[in-house]
Amino acid sequence: MALIQVRNLVKKFDGRDVLKGVSIDLYKGQAKVLMGTSGCGKSTLLRCLNLLVQPTSGQVIFKGEDITLPGVDVRKVRGEIGFVFQHFALYRHLTVEENVTLGLRKIKKIKSREASEKASYELNRVGMFEHRNKYPAQLSGGQKQRAAIVRALAMDPDVLFLDEPTSALDPQMSREVVTVINRLFLDNITMFCVTHDAFLAKYISDSIVFMDDGVIVAEDIAERLFYESADPRIKQFFMSVADHR
Amino acid sequence: MTFPDIMIILARGAGYTILVTIASVSAGLAAGLFLSVLGTLRWKAVSFFLGAYTYVFRSIPVLVLLFLVFFGLPGLGIRISPFVSIVLTLGLISGAYLAEIFRGAMAGVGQDEILAAEASGMNRMQVFLYIIFPQMFRMSIPGMINEFTTVLKYTPFAYTVGIPEIMKEAMSLAVMTLRGLEIYLALGIIYFIIYRLFVMLFMTLEKKYRIPGLAPE
Ligand SMILES: Nc1ncnc2c1ncn2[C@@H]1O[C@H](COP(=O)(O)OP(=O)(O)O)[C@@H](O)[C@H]1O
Ligand SMILES: [Mg+2]
Repeated sequence: MALIQVRNLVKKFDGRDVLKGVSIDLYKGQAKVLMGTSGCGKSTLLRCLNLLVQPTSGQVIFKGEDITLPGVDVRKVRGEIGFVFQHFALYRHLTVEENVTLGLRKIKKIKSREASEKASYELNRVGMFEHRNKYPAQLSGGQKQRAAIVRALAMDPDVLFLDEPTSALDPQMSREVVTVINRLFLDNITMFCVTHDAFLAKYISDSIVFMDDGVIVAEDIAERLFYESADPRIKQFFMSVADHR
Repeated sequence: MTFPDIMIILARGAGYTILVTIASVSAGLAAGLFLSVLGTLRWKAVSFFLGAYTYVFRSIPVLVLLFLVFFGLPGLGIRISPFVSIVLTLGLISGAYLAEIFRGAMAGVGQDEILAAEASGMNRMQVFLYIIFPQMFRMSIPGMINEFTTVLKYTPFAYTVGIPEIMKEAMSLAVMTLRGLEIYLALGIIYFIIYRLFVMLFMTLEKKYRIPGLAPE
């Protein structure tokens, strides 16, 4: 059974349908990329899946449990899903290491010493160990995003969500981050990643989901979706993102 | 009596002044923090209460409130000591100002950081304790220093309810020696020294714990 099963998910904001019946499966070890024009509901979909946004109707079955039902332990669900944001969202008042250990200590109740060891190990894997005592303001964008990825991964989530992880970065820094995410992909980390970056999409996904105006239009591997799709919406989208590169 | 003798007597009174200041600011911090946290709840009745609180305590003169507390409350059967009266008075007033300072600082806390903390599974209390409060507190430091000096300058009112702080000592000395110029000059100098010492202390602490990228504007 899929780790996350989304069935007929609808989200209305002020009576307006933003998600219009989305169904999607994400299996353990699978990496999916979600693409689509700006404003089509990608972030909203991600946020519905970890209940940062409450879905209007439909089901989200996470590890066999429908988490849209009342009485679900929302914080437990969130704790099992890592989230990486476009603008990093590192805690400004904490060092890189403290950013990573905060959740370990306060949510997972791991002792400071162990949390710190875990942070060092994980930071080292993405080349951030030497920056562990710096504050976010002292880091480049690429370093910030790598730290944010480590912060999410250190919690040993069942799945990692990434919402446009490279959109705020210039090409050089973007490449640093793509390299890191690619390694997670090769390590079979379960991922669901929103991006406009065709390069990132190709290198970190088993399949790509294309969404338009709150509905899933297609799901396929990168090559077929990029080059062979007959759907005008998809063609147009990839033409426009190709122009940007 | 020489000028140094006068300084020594006054310095003793300064101890009470510092004590009253620190106690009042602490009370103000507690009140201000409580009020600003209450404000985050965004309940109608609560916001009305907060608005009324700040409005009242920012417009009422210190001496009026002090007399109301010290001479008025016994009428309701509540007897409190001179020290508690002045601390309560200054605490209530500076609480109103500090609540505003905290409220402003809280608006500067990163919304995306709060979202990230919630996404990681923190509850509201944890988000407040580990994300909102530390950032808000640091950004409030200049405002808190400001409020501290304001309270320091209000402490002479303590003499009116009989606390032997520096103002009271100075007045007795002036009456005894009839050397008002020197005494009140010395008084001014001592206030200045207390003020400078505290500001230096705060600045040193602020520098020591400063965080790059998290400076108050
Ligand atoms: N909290 C909200 N309240 C009202 N409208 C929202 C909210 N969040 C998103 N929307 C709207 O939903 C639509 C989809 O937004 P979003 O999911 O952020 O799109 P995407 O991530 O694909 O660019 C947009 O029109 C946006 O304005
Ligand atoms: Mg988005």
